[in-house]
Amino acid sequence: MKFRCERDSLTNAIGRASRAVAKSTHSLIHQGLLLQLDGDSLTVTGSDIDLTIQARVEVTGFESGEVLVPSRLFVDVIRHLPLGAVDVTLAESNVVIRDARERSEFLVRTMNSADFVSVPEVETAPISVEVSDFVAGLKRVIPAARKDDSRPILTGVLVATKGSSLRLVATDSYRLGLCDLDGIDMGVDEEGVIVPSRALEEITKVMGDVDKLFVKLDDNTAVFEFDDLTVTTRLINGDFPSYENLIPTDHPNVLIANRVEMLDAIRRVRLVGDTETPIRINIQSDSVTLSSGTDRGEAKEVIENIEYKGEELQIAFNASYLNDGIEVARSDAIVLLTADALKPALLKGDGDTGFLYLLMPVRVV
Amino acid sequence: MPHNWTIGEMPEDATLKPTGAGDTQASILHVDLDAFFVSAELLRRPELAGRPVVVGGAGRRGVVAAASYEARYYGLSSGMPSAQARRLCPQAEFIPGDHDYYEGIWTRVKEVLRSFTPLVEAVSADEAFMDVSGSQLRFGCSLEIGHRIRADVLAQEGLNCSVGVASNKLLAKLASRRAKPRPGADCLIPGRGVVHIPPSGEKAFLNPMALEEMWGVGASTLRKLERMGLRTVADLAEISLTALAEVFGNAHGQHLHNIARGIDESPVVPYRPPKSMSSEVTFATDVSSVDELEKEILRQSEALARRLRKAGCSARTVVLKLRHPDFRTLTRSRTLKGPTRHGALICREARFLLREYLGGLRQGFEGFRLMGVGVSGLSFNEPVQMSLDGEELSSEALDEAVDSIRSRFGDEAVAPAALLEYNRQRGAWGPDASA
Repeated sequence: MKFRCERDSLTNAIGRASRAVAKSTHSLIHQGLLLQLDGDSLTVTGSDIDLTIQARVEVTGFESGEVLVPSRLFVDVIRHLPLGAVDVTLAESNVVIRDARERSEFLVRTMNSADFVSVPEVETAPISVEVSDFVAGLKRVIPAARKDDSRPILTGVLVATKGSSLRLVATDSYRLGLCDLDGIDMGVDEEGVIVPSRALEEITKVMGDVDKLFVKLDDNTAVFEFDDLTVTTRLINGDFPSYENLIPTDHPNVLIANRVEMLDAIRRVRLVGDTETPIRINIQSDSVTLSSGTDRGEAKEVIENIEYKGEELQIAFNASYLNDGIEVARSDAIVLLTADALKPALLKGDGDTGFLYLLMPVRVV
Repeated sequence: MPHNWTIGEMPEDATLKPTGAGDTQASILHVDLDAFFVSAELLRRPELAGRPVVVGGAGRRGVVAAASYEARYYGLSSGMPSAQARRLCPQAEFIPGDHDYYEGIWTRVKEVLRSFTPLVEAVSADEAFMDVSGSQLRFGCSLEIGHRIRADVLAQEGLNCSVGVASNKLLAKLASRRAKPRPGADCLIPGRGVVHIPPSGEKAFLNPMALEEMWGVGASTLRKLERMGLRTVADLAEISLTALAEVFGNAHGQHLHNIARGIDESPVVPYRPPKSMSSEVTFATDVSSVDELEKEILRQSEALARRLRKAGCSARTVVLKLRHPDFRTLTRSRTLKGPTRHGALICREARFLLREYLGGLRQGFEGFRLMGVGVSGLSFNEPVQMSLDGEELSSEALDEAVDSIRSRFGDEAVAPAALLEYNRQRGAWGPDASA
């Protein structure tokens, strides 16, 4: 195998593929990047079995072939080469990397490519999906998905059909993000599939500037294909928690406030708190007061430019969860619907019907 | 110089003229209930008055929790093994402890103390410090307040207490001990009730005192001091800070240097949140059955969780304490993801620690003499992130229901099924007549 490529094109491809490479060090074979050259087309594959990212880049190919290289080292070497063309040549058990002016030369030991994971194939017909709406929807629900593995189902995003919309739902059991995307049909039924949020998050980060993507699904695997990129992920088996009856239908208290003012206030009162310090919110007919405090100090922010219908209310939320919800609401004004200090609150963008964020309060004494 | 604080030598209140608001030099009080557990039992069983009475633990390894002054005359003291107490004073009446009852009385006594000042610091189940420097305009000088406290506690609860009045906590505590009644051959020799150490008399009060009477002088410190040829506080006061720091380290050396001079700057802190809670049991015979150890862990965990809930706090760290038959004692701890006050969770962690420890033992073990479960990292009114599936609410609702049943029908009314038989076998805590 031998090819020449611009450093930045190659960096881009291996950088994206290497995002799927396992971060932990215990499984060596998942630390590899597979380079496959076919004519002038180089495919770079990174995988940790659950998630596989394949990036394609056009190169000047001299001799087709494939090689497995250690991901970290290979990425580091390429990235640090001088700007310009890079030559990559397989020579026995080494990959030789040179800059075009042959001032830098690296030998990187290869790994046995026979050991590399086989990427699952999905045979169903690809379904075309508009990228911008889909990715925007993903970004709004992914923050609500669970980060740790204590309940694996909750690390996924439910992708299901709801009427004429595609519904995305994620919850870590403390908050729930729900987004309905009009007119997107991904070929899933009402039960839907549960896609690991890590895979979807990587998609939002690596997909680049494209309009369309193609989705292929079977019982165990989802494949997302872009122009120069394929993301393959295992699906999570199991039943997503039934969430619809959790969403309250009537709310006595309705607050409308400027989103940016709320975000600014949250950012400031958080300064005195730790990660677990809740933000207390006092809502009165003409103002909202946010406050927080620890042994180190206390903070208070008053927002006056609000509309409120309901009783005076004291309620507290986890600062990050509240911030996440307001962050992804994305209208100029947010609507916070509450019943009392212990019941779930509902956060929406004013006039935005396709999105809601359900948030459980923190009980404070 | 007359030692005018000792019983009998000092004319009543001669050294102290009430000075009203200006009396700020000796404004720390130490209030100590006299033979509290025993006196509390005598309120319920007045027929025992005047007899040697012991409140304490049962079984071969039980210890004396409190002894009446009549019993103390025979050499009984708290902390002594019950079996030894029985030998010294076979005619004593042995009563099992009823800590809920004592706690109820103590809570009411503290209310009496708080009617004089909010600065009341309870230091154990029967003694408290008070700072009355702001109360003198209203209630008179410190000494008067001391007498009023004694009268009020006696009138309300029928109990005697002794009061020490001094310029700091160290001296006030020493003073209250001088105010106590003493056991005599035929009768109780009444104490002074209130002993006041005016600032001018501090040195003379302290100097003749034996070192073992001082705060912060434990057995090993005392041995070292004796080896240095020191017996009294006056001896200790001769030693330089440098010399003390060399032998005892900086902090402890400084402490010894201070107490020899009657210096104690620690303030009266009305409420000190507990940092940890624990319970432990010394088994009547060594226990080697893992099943039984696990049941005991469950029992203690449930009791601890209940204490946590009663105190309104949650714990982050679970501690297991084990003592081998040869008295080797060890503790192991585990820190939870979030604070808890739920017995099952504390139990799970403590059992994990037990299994982990047993799994790591190279040779077989012959059982444990003592086992205890504790919690630390206590926090109060910790905010609780509620969840959409109501997980935390259901376990809390269960705990609340169990607590309310127990407070109405007694502790034995509800128990984990695994403990029903265990509790029956264990029996009540009380004196073991066969011991």
